[in-house]
Amino acid sequence: MNQFTFEGKQRTVLLGGMVLGLVCLVLTFFIDPLEGSHHARFWSNLLHNTVFFTGIAFISLFVMCAFTTAYAGWFVGMKRLWEAMSLFLIVGLVLLLIIVAGLWGHLHHLYHWNVEGVSTLGHENYDRIIAGKSGFLNKYWYTFGTIIFVGVWYMFARKIRSLSLQEDTSGTDAYTHFKKIKFWSAFLLPIGAFTSAAMIWQWVMSIDAHWYSTMYAWYSSASWFVSATAFTILMLIYLKGKGYYQNISDEHLHDFGKFLFAFSVFWTYLWFSQYMLIWYSNNGEETIYFRQRLDSYPVLFYGNLVMNFVLPFLILMRNSTKRKHGTLILVSLLTFFGHWWDFFYMIKPGVVINAGGHADHGAGDHSDGHEVLGAAADHGEHASSFMAGYTLPGLLELGIFIGFLSLFIYFVFMKLKEASLVPENDPYMKESVHHHV
Amino acid sequence: MKEGNTTVLFGLYDDEVDLLNAVKKANEAHLDILDVYSPFPVHGLDPLLGLEESRLHIAGFVYGSLGTMTAFGVMTWVFTRDWPIIFGGKPYWSVPAFIPITFELTVLFAAIGMVVTFYTICGLGPGVKAEVLDDRITDDKFCIAYDVSNMASDKISELKSFFSGTGASSVSTKVI
Repeated sequence: MNQFTFEGKQRTVLLGGMVLGLVCLVLTFFIDPLEGSHHARFWSNLLHNTVFFTGIAFISLFVMCAFTTAYAGWFVGMKRLWEAMSLFLIVGLVLLLIIVAGLWGHLHHLYHWNVEGVSTLGHENYDRIIAGKSGFLNKYWYTFGTIIFVGVWYMFARKIRSLSLQEDTSGTDAYTHFKKIKFWSAFLLPIGAFTSAAMIWQWVMSIDAHWYSTMYAWYSSASWFVSATAFTILMLIYLKGKGYYQNISDEHLHDFGKFLFAFSVFWTYLWFSQYMLIWYSNNGEETIYFRQRLDSYPVLFYGNLVMNFVLPFLILMRNSTKRKHGTLILVSLLTFFGHWWDFFYMIKPGVVINAGGHADHGAGDHSDGHEVLGAAADHGEHASSFMAGYTLPGLLELGIFIGFLSLFIYFVFMKLKEASLVPENDPYMKESVHHHV
Repeated sequence: MKEGNTTVLFGLYDDEVDLLNAVKKANEAHLDILDVYSPFPVHGLDPLLGLEESRLHIAGFVYGSLGTMTAFGVMTWVFTRDWPIIFGGKPYWSVPAFIPITFELTVLFAAIGMVVTFYTICGLGPGVKAEVLDDRITDDKFCIAYDVSNMASDKISELKSFFSGTGASSVSTKVI
């Protein structure tokens, strides 16, 4: 079976998941333990999930291009799945535009650098450090980057997808389509690498605007790639169970298992390097980031390490566990959730600080912020006050996660349905079928 | 490996596909292969020969864990008990600073331990003379070997016809 059918039952389940997610997202607009924060729970959840799933879409495009450029053949049999995932960028762009709109309309205060007068000398909100970064941390760059960069990624995804589909119908032994795909793939690699780094700084790192880390882009890209690999493994096993992708054997899953293992370790390497360099240099401006997280969010901090390093490392170390579906499914679920958790850990503590930080700056437009000031300005007090949706993901956050995941899978299924699951005329198709590790 | 008491009949093949087909035929005919030699790992050969997964990596894990504990234990002892020194205002027991060395010793122990184990199991080591059936099996020839020390001559001629029937480019006998 090379033609995917989107069954009514799958559609119902996924739509149900989306409705659940939407309801939970709307509820977080009203149920927010952080009062006077301009619905920070709602906006940070939207940002968190959007960045996570858009990143997965981007990284599947990026890795597909990297593999194509490296003349890899083994993955070609399931390439359509990555093509489908990469096209989700358009949905990600639309969702990001909501956050951009919130930025312009001052509907949310996720970013300290977007506060009125923060980089105007003499203004009561003036912040010297942020003023120094205002050339990059401003709403113009944020908007430009989101629209142009994500737009460019999507254009590449579409171009590669359409060439791949044309190859199905009019591919010849001259491999003209493949050569064109290779050209566009190699073209994307430098562009994608630099622009994705710039965007992760804008979207996530700039929540902690005083802080910076040169490891950050690598770190989040590794997170995206592990999540994308985990998602791919789960999808392939599911689709194989449905009778599709019979040419994807344990050999291919073994290679995906190796990627999951290797990039979990790579992620940990970056996670640790980021921590150690800052710990070692002991620069207050930088260490505050980890101090807040270790003091007030220990479960987030250590849970992250256990789910994304210790367990995958120990479980996937053996040869056989990378080939058995049971262990692969277990670790994929664990790391997929784990890296969602990782983005939660990157975003939420900064959001809490910013919600209090605005009150601290005494912006005249919200006088209700003074009660928040007492709680948020003193981080020590936060250690004892648990806030669902900030300290740990609450039930609503899990609902939103399910909603976004359903949206992502729904979109992937819609795109899988549009074309043959197997690119028959790809020059590497035969190699992929005979793949052996 | 003791020398000079095993007579080996071996055939050389030019291609690994011929080798794989020959091994399949040998399995069908229930011929008891002594060993197969190839210049590089041949995909799909291990299951045909019925080889189990190597247990060397278990030894590797044990050596690695030993390395982890050695590095972490020694550093902890040195920096908290034996000779405590403050570096850069950090506490004596500075776990992050220990991690890189712990990692390196883990790799070192695992690597050296596995090499020593592998050499011991295979009877290799400095000064050991390896008996090679044919120099070209380390270059471009694929070899199937049978132990014919105590074999009747009709059995041996059956093996010879097996070699010619499966496309071996040469067949010879050697005492090792």
